[in-house]
Amino acid sequence: MSAFETLLFSKEDGVARVSLNRPHVLNAYNMQMRDDFSEVLSAVEEDPEIRCLLITGEGRAFCAGADLTEFGSAPSLVVARQVRWERDVWGQFLRLTKPIVIAVHGFCIGSGVEICLLGDLRIAAKGTVFALPETHLGMVPAAGGTQTLPRHARMGWAPDLLLTGRRFDSDEALKYRIITRTAPNDALEDIALRAACEIASLDSLTMASAKTALAAGADLPLADALKLEARLAAAGGNQ
Amino acid sequence: MVEIRFRSLVLDVALPVATITLGLPDRRNRIDAVMAMELREACAELASAEGVQLVVITGSGDAFSVGRETPPAESASGAARLEWISRMQVASAVASLPVPVVAVVNGDAIDHGLELAMAADLRIAADHAKFAITDISRGCLPWDGATQRLPRLVGPAWARDMLLTSRHVNSSEAGDIGLVNRVVEAARLQDETRTLSDSILGGGPIAARYAKEALMCGPELTLEQGLRLEADLNVVLQSTSDRVEGLQSFLERKTPNFTGS
Repeated sequence: MSAFETLLFSKEDGVARVSLNRPHVLNAYNMQMRDDFSEVLSAVEEDPEIRCLLITGEGRAFCAGADLTEFGSAPSLVVARQVRWERDVWGQFLRLTKPIVIAVHGFCIGSGVEICLLGDLRIAAKGTVFALPETHLGMVPAAGGTQTLPRHARMGWAPDLLLTGRRFDSDEALKYRIITRTAPNDALEDIALRAACEIASLDSLTMASAKTALAAGADLPLADALKLEARLAAAGGNQ
Repeated sequence: MVEIRFRSLVLDVALPVATITLGLPDRRNRIDAVMAMELREACAELASAEGVQLVVITGSGDAFSVGRETPPAESASGAARLEWISRMQVASAVASLPVPVVAVVNGDAIDHGLELAMAADLRIAADHAKFAITDISRGCLPWDGATQRLPRLVGPAWARDMLLTSRHVNSSEAGDIGLVNRVVEAARLQDETRTLSDSILGGGPIAARYAKEALMCGPELTLEQGLRLEADLNVVLQSTSDRVEGLQSFLERKTPNFTGS
């Protein structure tokens, strides 16, 4: 039931499942995938039956990074800047009111890591290879990685990973808080799906409020964030 | 290679790397007003030096730096103390260097010494090195960044644990909590430092500066503002020939030759 060129989409028991589907290029993220993600995220946000989004990758890798063959195709810097905000797919990830479970395996490189960092619950198959090689390509991450990485890995680890571009494994990713769980490779799908189903079984308004409290609160002084939390809790009722 | 000898430190410039070596091993590289001034001078020099892509800070002898020389008498006025503090501060000068900075922690980094090491972007440590901020156990508050940089590096829980108890942390714990990025046998420190430096220098120099800028500024902004900064830095990078070189080299599977332009 997939209507997308680069993504598989299915829906069952309140869980929308999106799988990156360009396995011949290790799911390299390209413009078509950006457009597909943009549509999928809008649909997921609007569909009241969906209470959790699960993101996985088809084939040998979750995502080997951005499709560099398409890079440099913008006619000017002005256009490049404009295009970045015309379809702000990373903003859509961050603004999604429904929880996102991300399950990565194989290779999780560049944009793959950045997509991972945009998820709420992040699980990796043991042995997954991670890297943020952007500076070694003369660029910096562009899917929010320079901002999400230090927020999760803190400044103790973020410069190390970003400036050396080195590879690291799933145990290290756990230590750096890029993921919060590992799973045996052959059990990854089951474990991720079970986690998504569990989340989907919970009250979706409470879930949305929790996401708001966590995201908005992180940008506020503590006193204001606590007021926000109390307001959200009061609006939720049921206490 | 150019070597500039200050009274209490040596600045070696072997492009693209500049190395600052604290040079008072007999005093375990305790920071005094002269060393502080020289550190700030060296940083000011390096901030605008052409061709410097990486700064290394290390200590001579068996310690990185174990603190500072005794403050003026307690009877000194608040204003005099503040004046003394501003003459002694070094961390911000190091932290504001635009290029990546690696602290090579050759031995103990205690109090002001650790505050200096924490101003670097990465830390590689000899396995015998110990780390601590002991100011609070002596009834003082640290003032060269410890209360701010430590939680940003390791998170609030470990920062409280270290600051409020003043305890010494060994290198393996420091590696676990993210206070240092690599722990190596002392005999291998030089080799491992070279490997680490080379891995940073393998990146594009402009990209490395911008990555550092995005990392340093981002967490002080709201996430949305941070994402705008990242996007704008990306757009600017698109005007560099290094980005073209990086892409082409990747597609042709060869090592890029970045020129910093």
